[in-house]
Amino acid sequence: MIAAPAMLSSVLALAEGPLDAHAAPELRWAGLALLLPLASSVLCLLCGWLKVRSKLPAALTIAALGGAFATILRLQGTVGETPVVVNLFDWIDLTWGDGSRFHGFTANVDLYIDRLTVFWMLFVTGLGTLIALYASEYMESDVGKGYTRFFGAVSIFLFAMGCLVMGGNLVMLYLGWEGVGLASYLLIGYYFTKPEAVAAAKKAFIVNRIGDLGLALALFLIWQCYGTVEYAALWKAIEAAPASSEWTAQAIPWLLMLGAFGKSAQLPLYVWLPDAMEGPTPVSALIHAATMVTAGVYLIARMFPLFVVNPDALAAVAWVGGLTALLAATIGMAQYDMKRIWAYSTISQLGYMFLGLGVGTTFGASYHVFTHAFFKALLFLTAGAVMHGFAGQLDIRKLSGLLKVPGFRLVSVLAVLGCFWLAAFPFTAAFFSKDEILVSAFTAKDDRVHLLGWIGLLVAALTAYYTFRVCFRVFFGPVKFEPGHELHGHDDHDHAHDAHAHHGEFHPHGPRWAIRVPLVLIAIGAILAGWPSYRTMLHHDESNWVKTQVAQSSAFQGVAAESHGSLDGHAASSHASAHTEDAHADHGHLVLGMDAHTAVGRLGSLACIVGILVSLYVHLINRGTADALRRTLMGTVATRWIVVGAERKWMVDEFYDWVIRLPLRVIANILSAIDELLLDAGIVNGIGALPAAVGRVFRPLYGGVVQGYAVTMAGGVALVAAWVIWIWLRGAN
Amino acid sequence: MGDLDLAAGSELNMNLIWASILIPVATAAVIAVANARAARGLAAVGSLASLGALAAFAWQFPAWSTGGVSPEPGGCAWIASINATLGIGFDSVSLLLALLEALLIPICVIGSWSAITDRQREYYGWFMLLHASILLAFAARDVLLFYVGYEFTLVPLLFIIAIWGGPERRQAAHKLFLYTFLGSLFFLGSILFVGWQHHASTGLWSWDMGTLSSFASTRLPANTQYWLFAALLAGFAVKVPLFPVHTWLPLAHNQAPTAGSVILAGTLLKLGTYGIFRLALPMAPEGGAALAVFAAVLCTVAVIYAALICWVQTDAKKLVAYSSVSHLGICMLGLFALNPIGAQGSVLYMINHGLSTGALFLLIGMAYERYHVKDMDQIGGLAKRMPVWAFFMVFFTMSSIGLPGLNGFVGEYLCLFGTYIATGDASTKYPGLLGPGFALVAGTGLILGAMYMLLLVGRYVFGPLREPKADSHGKHGHDGSHGHDAHGADHGDHDGHGDLTGREVGLLVPLALVCLFIGIYPKPILQAIGPVVERTLAPYPAAVERALMSKPQATEAVQAQAKEDDRG
Amino acid sequence: MNPIDPQLPPGDPLVMLGLLASAILFAVGIVGFLSRRNMITMFLCTELMFQGAGLAMISYGRQHMDLSGQVFVIFILTVAAAEAALALGLVVLLYRRKETLSAEAWKELAES
Repeated sequence: MIAAPAMLSSVLALAEGPLDAHAAPELRWAGLALLLPLASSVLCLLCGWLKVRSKLPAALTIAALGGAFATILRLQGTVGETPVVVNLFDWIDLTWGDGSRFHGFTANVDLYIDRLTVFWMLFVTGLGTLIALYASEYMESDVGKGYTRFFGAVSIFLFAMGCLVMGGNLVMLYLGWEGVGLASYLLIGYYFTKPEAVAAAKKAFIVNRIGDLGLALALFLIWQCYGTVEYAALWKAIEAAPASSEWTAQAIPWLLMLGAFGKSAQLPLYVWLPDAMEGPTPVSALIHAATMVTAGVYLIARMFPLFVVNPDALAAVAWVGGLTALLAATIGMAQYDMKRIWAYSTISQLGYMFLGLGVGTTFGASYHVFTHAFFKALLFLTAGAVMHGFAGQLDIRKLSGLLKVPGFRLVSVLAVLGCFWLAAFPFTAAFFSKDEILVSAFTAKDDRVHLLGWIGLLVAALTAYYTFRVCFRVFFGPVKFEPGHELHGHDDHDHAHDAHAHHGEFHPHGPRWAIRVPLVLIAIGAILAGWPSYRTMLHHDESNWVKTQVAQSSAFQGVAAESHGSLDGHAASSHASAHTEDAHADHGHLVLGMDAHTAVGRLGSLACIVGILVSLYVHLINRGTADALRRTLMGTVATRWIVVGAERKWMVDEFYDWVIRLPLRVIANILSAIDELLLDAGIVNGIGALPAAVGRVFRPLYGGVVQGYAVTMAGGVALVAAWVIWIWLRGAN
Repeated sequence: MGDLDLAAGSELNMNLIWASILIPVATAAVIAVANARAARGLAAVGSLASLGALAAFAWQFPAWSTGGVSPEPGGCAWIASINATLGIGFDSVSLLLALLEALLIPICVIGSWSAITDRQREYYGWFMLLHASILLAFAARDVLLFYVGYEFTLVPLLFIIAIWGGPERRQAAHKLFLYTFLGSLFFLGSILFVGWQHHASTGLWSWDMGTLSSFASTRLPANTQYWLFAALLAGFAVKVPLFPVHTWLPLAHNQAPTAGSVILAGTLLKLGTYGIFRLALPMAPEGGAALAVFAAVLCTVAVIYAALICWVQTDAKKLVAYSSVSHLGICMLGLFALNPIGAQGSVLYMINHGLSTGALFLLIGMAYERYHVKDMDQIGGLAKRMPVWAFFMVFFTMSSIGLPGLNGFVGEYLCLFGTYIATGDASTKYPGLLGPGFALVAGTGLILGAMYMLLLVGRYVFGPLREPKADSHGKHGHDGSHGHDAHGADHGDHDGHGDLTGREVGLLVPLALVCLFIGIYPKPILQAIGPVVERTLAPYPAAVERALMSKPQATEAVQAQAKEDDRG
Repeated sequence: MNPIDPQLPPGDPLVMLGLLASAILFAVGIVGFLSRRNMITMFLCTELMFQGAGLAMISYGRQHMDLSGQVFVIFILTVAAAEAALALGLVVLLYRRKETLSAEAWKELAES
């Protein structure tokens, strides 16, 4: 069968099942981490098709995510120090030409598995499973309506996140990058009849697209400079030619940064994240706090070899991170919506992570991602439980003393615990991870970032203040609450407990096991997240688990080289053991006359405790003080802007609206008018009208009178005759 | 089948192609004499049979990986005195486009079942003729035959728009016809000129695409090639449509009946891009190299310009129509990158655009059938009424804005990628003339694309439900002078704005599956396109280098190099 | 001009007379056609122009000593006869429609 179509044979090769574990080389089963969520999303689609009216989609999703988690756990046991590339199937594989530099472009569906990958996937799938379990109860009022859509989108998210983290090349990463964007879009816009939700979803997608363009261009540039977009080959290419002074090579980190800042809500592009809280709370916890927004951190950590060669870019990352942390913290102090406060705190904490990356501690940044994932998920989920129980109430002025409300004790206790973590209370996990970052900021070789250490400490104090502002207002004090106006988030479906809507008879209902169990497990996870640091502290053992995970990956390539200052160290470091000295291990730097670690530990504790104490006084002991202070500040023109600015989020949204959106809109309208009036009606129709206009000149001759036609004919003949005669006469002369 | 006689195979293939072209013609003839009620069924059967014949041919197609043409060039005489032949044959690019056409036509036909209620025989007859002429254009290997197919598409389309279109249908049809016809004259003049030159130079008449291309690219002087390319570009640009000559498109799309829009966006516009790919680029490489930057500027302007216009549209269909202009700007940009990445991306983009924009028009048409309104100020939030429709709408929107994993991404990305690396770096095989600046500016089209498409989805699909008042249904969107008030029969009750029917879902699912397939596994298609693209671009590296030399800075560089050589 | 062609010397009186008559006939025809509105008269005038042209052909035929001119005229006469039958039939039909022979009555047949 010579004519057997090449296309079809390729299809058959696909159908043979590249994800089939049996036929695969040894690690192909790792693809299950992607396949299971994908299968679950397809099954959810099927459920939607069959109009399933049970909790089946949730069960499917939880099972699939649990399976993915188990896969990753097994992978953790299998993967050694060397990264593995697992080819699932060929995707884009173009070759042409004759071996010149641009002779091909390959981006297959590969998995690149090293310790960093596994580390990231562990908390992504683990939290994903728990939050899906939580959501199975949280979303139950939507069973038979949006339930399948919700879990389908969550499955898509986990699949895309898997591609992003496990993908073996930048195109896979890009696929995941946009895929999580899609999931985020679908989930923010979950309550699609609500205009705010639709607008927020759109905003998130578009702002992310700006970052995506940066990422796409970076991808082009990487291919142009290094001839490949596959990690394995890329590290080799970078090793061969680490520092290029060409503008193309120099521009790569900046463009990657743009992508990272879009996805991780950093300074110029952070505006979408607060609005994203329009989505259901489990989504806010999973996507917009714990996992997706850390993709930017992952990107920079993964591509760290490209950043190390460019100190300016690293300094910029640090500064953007630091300033975002500060800005978001100031806004967070003045908000009243609990979810929004947590959203701003997320932005602020992400700022810390970027600060960490910028000062060279990929370990610190990754560690903070890890600890943050747990406590922030916990905070969001408890906020969700409160919202669920109090008919959508999130205003911290209208909730008080929840610790004493029956059914909410567990939730409240966990939320208070979460607040301690967020505030980085001494000897919590977040304390250690934040410590790691700030120490590196103080001891970084680059002088330009030292100031950021102090900014980081200031933000720590602010964080402690606004965190405990929520804590003291909502969970302590006298029992007092007003239910919200909405039922279960922003759902407008006309059903069920409208009896609750009467204020007088409102009985908050506490969460059941499917909400409680994940909360407890996540809290345990948050405690355990500090384990590596406790070990280090107690046993003076440097073999921190997280550090091992991060060190045996591309994230450490070049970091060690920085500290050793030698190229052979650089080459070896890509697979170096955890015992490699980290940048911060350089004890030469002193802060306030003390060793940097000691100093930052003490200062950080101090900042945290000061923040908590201020909050304690203003928001619990004497709640009138806060309002009095606000009134005082509002009273003077000189200080008024502080309050107004912070409450109105420093007008950044309005600024973008006026400076970017409005002019663009005006231009678009002008262009539209040009297109319709000038180009189409003017030029095109004008040219079209030309023949008609010419005809109109001669129209009177053809009015239907036969003699008229005859006259023109005779006239024509006469003219021709005259011409002939004229020629003849001239010839005669 | 290994022993199959090659000649016999070729004959079989030839017959299959002719079958796919002539079955619709025969169907049209049968419809003309058949009962009006049977017309739609006959058309569906005919279009599916045509698809079947073409699919059978594709199955047999021997040149998927070689880039060659099958059957071999040659064919029976058509106009013997000038040696015009009925030469037909496909290479993988034209075959893929023809398959797209053959796939879309049954969808259009079956999609029209409820929308078209008056003068059904004529409607389906014209549609069959339209199908035949588009297929003929893609299959033709003889430029005159290509011209006939290319030009004849206008006749059925004129009637389809002018009879079954919206309120301004006459003006739209008129403009479409005259405008694109004017463009075609440039194209006709150019190919006649080349044929005449061939005759003058060799003493033989030939209209075979391959012969003329190799003749024109090697024997015509650079200056002539410049003007030849300019004329061909001018001719095809109208059809594509490129930036300043696009204004017929929004009107035509907006006024055409749904199926007309689908086929217009799906494959008719592709005749323009295909013409540039098949005739303009291979015939006049010197001209192509000289004019690539100019054309790329037009494309880039189109991307931004049309995207911004989309953003302020309130009419859903017009928005999608303008988005075609923007999308095809990126598509053409990839082609003018003059390297295989860009060109492969461009060809893939042609297919992708046909699928996703076609599907979007289909979806808007389905909503229009139910409400007779497509102004987003009056209607919106339809997801509440029609969740399945909303699902497909979001799906194809994502495909259209290039979400990775769906078809749009691969084509768009490769186009931009090709543009990006076409930096004029002479050390590479395909230097190109564009570079990062073009990619960056066109890349903002990705952001703008998301902006306007999500605006469409946000208002039309999501948001609070807004429906036009029930009593205005009968009148709205009609001018009363003629039929197509299908709702009178099928959707009489106003509460019957139900979700998609099984028939409608059945139309969308194949498109969605193809989109997914291309997105997840584009390799076979890219592999099939690759050799053809390389063959087409074969003369370009040299031509581009000459064009680069003629640039002042390049000259300086060469002089500097020469000086260094002198010193050495 | 072919030198072998026999030709009368210029200024042959019969030829001149014939040409003059043909010119007069044609001029009368054209003036009549342009000035009259009656369809039958107009038709007669076209016939006059025909015959003028025919006469010129015969005259030049004599000048060139060639019979082709006369052959043509016989053809033209035949065609003109058939045409006359047709045209008069049309005129009768048109008269029946509007009860008038004036060409003005059919103005609406104009394109615009």
